[in-house]
Amino acid sequence: MSEGAPSKSILSLHAVGVVSGIAAGAWLGSAEAPTKLVTMGFSPFLISLGMVMGVFVARWTIPVAIKGTSYIWADLREKPHLIVWGIIAGMLWAVANTLTVFAIRNVGLSVAFPLWNLNSLVGMFWGWLLFNELRGSGSRQRLVVLGGAAAIVIGACLLAYSTTNHESIVQREAATLGVFAAVGAGLLWGTMYIPYRKAYISGMNPLSFVTVFTVGELATVFALAAVFDGGVSNVFHSLEQAKPVLFWLFFGGFCWVIGDLFQQYAAKYIGISRGIPLSNTNQLWGLAWGALVFGELAHMTGSHVFIVGGSLIMIAGAVAISFAEAPADEQRQWQLAMERECARYGLDRGRIAAAVMGSESSPGPRSSRHWWELLIVAAAVAVFVWLGMLAERPRIEIDMGWLLAIVVASLAALAGAVFVLWKRTRFA
Amino acid sequence: MKQSRLRATLTDPHLWIPLVVLTFGIGLLAALA
Repeated sequence: MSEGAPSKSILSLHAVGVVSGIAAGAWLGSAEAPTKLVTMGFSPFLISLGMVMGVFVARWTIPVAIKGTSYIWADLREKPHLIVWGIIAGMLWAVANTLTVFAIRNVGLSVAFPLWNLNSLVGMFWGWLLFNELRGSGSRQRLVVLGGAAAIVIGACLLAYSTTNHESIVQREAATLGVFAAVGAGLLWGTMYIPYRKAYISGMNPLSFVTVFTVGELATVFALAAVFDGGVSNVFHSLEQAKPVLFWLFFGGFCWVIGDLFQQYAAKYIGISRGIPLSNTNQLWGLAWGALVFGELAHMTGSHVFIVGGSLIMIAGAVAISFAEAPADEQRQWQLAMERECARYGLDRGRIAAAVMGSESSPGPRSSRHWWELLIVAAAVAVFVWLGMLAERPRIEIDMGWLLAIVVASLAALAGAVFVLWKRTRFA
Repeated sequence: MKQSRLRATLTDPHLWIPLVVLTFGIGLLAALA
């Protein structure tokens, strides 16, 4: 084994994927807090654009910091056809994210959130249909995964019901459109996992994939804002006005990128069917932020049974999936899907198979670093510092004790996932 | 990108699924905006 090569003796790829999926849930959930700014009078397109600008900064910085530009460039050059898929995935994400902002505005986060979390079932369907997931496994194994995913969805519905302000009056037409927007977002996000899985059974590194993904993402969100929000000049004018809140949107985008990276690794190592339901436990984290840090549920009475019940069902679903490792027969089916991609795109089967198993596949100079990488990271930090200096703190009551507790738990999830990914795959 | 890979990408039957869903999503946004 060469120096710096991953240790494969202890950790299974399933364990790596499960830990990544759980960490994804923590960080994707934390990223939802900035959407509260929707009520502050900015257009949904502007909120989405602000968040995606933060995402763009983070998506170009984190891969450069971890792997370096030479590695990313070599990976992309080896599989240039995946650039098309990455851009389409970014476009799907951007449209879905904008839909969620409409959904939150019309029906509230607690209704919208579980509806768009149906994306895991959409993703499971595509995983089964296109990538042979859950095929070849026994009926019991399939039942565990499907049951686990269903439990996560049911838990999400219970949480939504219990955290909704039933006394609020929402115009029926607006509510119907909001539901359509949330379901549409779920469909788009569920379909976005097709490019994800396509990239990973072709041996691409998630860090390379997100670097392309974010181009489609930013371009689409900017185009949507320009078309639907009064033209390019109006977008820049609105961004100028939104300066005091841009930091929070950027910060939400940064948390989202961390969560999404882990979601990408989960999709790579345990597939869509297992990885996405696990990362969809983000609702638990979103609930923890809302209820414990921001005291959103303080006025509610009698909902606690549903909240505890929904959370426990969701956790049980996640635990079930965590233990449902794909058996050898199913993994052979995954391999057939990989071989199909190799045949279609003329990829080297041996190298791709190694990459899928968590080994490095990029032929480029893996360890060479360049001075401009430091510059990229420094520029990103400078952007965050600059926006932080302009930021106004939203007037929201915060429980500092719970804030600290959830931040520590999120950082622990981050550290755990970084450790296993580094130990087993070196972020391959 | 090599010509053969470009052709393989454009004729990949999987490609049409995200494209159709994306078109639907943009249409939905237009209705909401």
